[in-house]
Amino acid sequence: MNSLKYNWQICRTVAGVTYKEWSAYRTHSMVSIIVGPVYFMVQYFIWTAVYGDHSSLGGISLPQMIRYFGATALIGYLIMDFADWNLSMLVRTGKFLTFHLRPIHHRSFALFQKIGHRSLGFLFEFLPCLLIFIFIFGVDMRPVSFPWTILSVLLAFMMNFYVNYTIGLTSFWLVQSNGIRSAFMLVSGIFSGALIPLDFFPHWLQVTQFFLPFQYIAYMPAMVFTGHYSLGGLELSIQQAVGVQAVAVFITFGINELVRRLAMKQFTAVGA
Amino acid sequence: MKRYLEVYKQCMYSAIQAAAAYRMNFIISSLITLVGNTLFPLVTLLIYRAGTSFPGWSLYEVLLIQSVFTMSSGLSSLIFGGVLWTTMSHIREGSFEVILLKPLNPLFFIIATTFSTDSIGLFLGGVALFIFSVIQAGAIPLLFWLQFMGLFIAGTAVLAGLSLMMAAMSFKWVGNSRISELADSVLNIGKYPLPVFPKAVQAVATMIIPVGMVGFLPASALLGRVQARDFIAVLPCLLFLAAGVWVYRHMIRLYEGVGG
Repeated sequence: MNSLKYNWQICRTVAGVTYKEWSAYRTHSMVSIIVGPVYFMVQYFIWTAVYGDHSSLGGISLPQMIRYFGATALIGYLIMDFADWNLSMLVRTGKFLTFHLRPIHHRSFALFQKIGHRSLGFLFEFLPCLLIFIFIFGVDMRPVSFPWTILSVLLAFMMNFYVNYTIGLTSFWLVQSNGIRSAFMLVSGIFSGALIPLDFFPHWLQVTQFFLPFQYIAYMPAMVFTGHYSLGGLELSIQQAVGVQAVAVFITFGINELVRRLAMKQFTAVGA
Repeated sequence: MKRYLEVYKQCMYSAIQAAAAYRMNFIISSLITLVGNTLFPLVTLLIYRAGTSFPGWSLYEVLLIQSVFTMSSGLSSLIFGGVLWTTMSHIREGSFEVILLKPLNPLFFIIATTFSTDSIGLFLGGVALFIFSVIQAGAIPLLFWLQFMGLFIAGTAVLAGLSLMMAAMSFKWVGNSRISELADSVLNIGKYPLPVFPKAVQAVATMIIPVGMVGFLPASALLGRVQARDFIAVLPCLLFLAAGVWVYRHMIRLYEGVGG
């Protein structure tokens, strides 16, 4: 119990400090207030034109599609992460040593930092964009089930973090992991469903997504939000989808832990 | 003029030499950009595969718009891509004075020294997609090619103007690495057939921030779909570039150094 309380205090402190640190640059986050709605507007008109007389495409109606893009944009603000870049920088500059000596696991530290950083994102990116989507674009942004959507977004938050942290860990072997980061971002951008719902992909590619982390980051929480999940011919209820997502997060955590242990054996400090 | 050309040539040579020093990084970066560009039209392919379309536009016509957009972005990125990041970095570190002390026009100096070899992959990806799409369009008369060239240059001027405006913004919005996202979000409009947007957006994208000129109008010229009045849009493109140069030079005058 004491350990739990101790960890909570550390989490609160690290998240609080990160929040204050990034508050000094809050206008950086506020760029999203312009970028998000402009991007959404483009999607809105493109899909309105593409639907034309079709009542549904890939099993999704136009209002559902608009809601889907609204949800992916907003979820993106809540789960955004750069743990990979941060860890890579710490390894490359040798500063990781100082974290290695601290009485806190670096992964936990990075996670708490992310919580603080995204709390700021919640206020300066998520909320303004949510209000713009509702009051300017007139999109119904109410999820079918609040509790399941929140749980799914939390799992997406963890998934994004563990995947990014694993990418960052490759720096222990490569020193400069920019190439892998770029390649991963490229693939993730397409297969997470942020550009187009995965229902539009060929069947074999949809099935493949169950074994890759991408769909659990954006597509699944967005579909839980809309209340209808299907992929690769498999229809799941919201509860089942969130259950599958939880299993995927658990497996990803296991892989992350394995890679982390191997990386620590690889680590040779060079001073700080 | 001859001196400026000589300086630019030397800077290009240095940039290529620098890229050659880290050739594996250069090859990987270029390959990723190249692959990224082949995946960019994936959304369009999937839309058409689902049995629908952008009204009035065939798949290859939309791919042509997107290939022209990519080529234009690649070309602009090669020449002007580094201006934003270099300006931002100098301002954040307070070392912009070093550039002002050079015996050259500071804007020219920054453009010349930031020739971005990394963008070669982007440009080549666009060229490959362009060749593929243009083959599907069939025989294209010489007049259409000439019209395309004129509009393509105008579109690249828009991107150059945008780069300069973003860089100028960094004089006041110090250290904001997300400035480029502002331009990217607006540029999204230029990747699709302009008629799918409402009239108001079309007017803005043609006359005010002429992003429609980046991909849509040059591709339309190749397909013989432009009308005489569409060429009026060249004027706002040139004005946009001139505005970018003017704003950047104006912001240099407002720069207050803090040492170097």
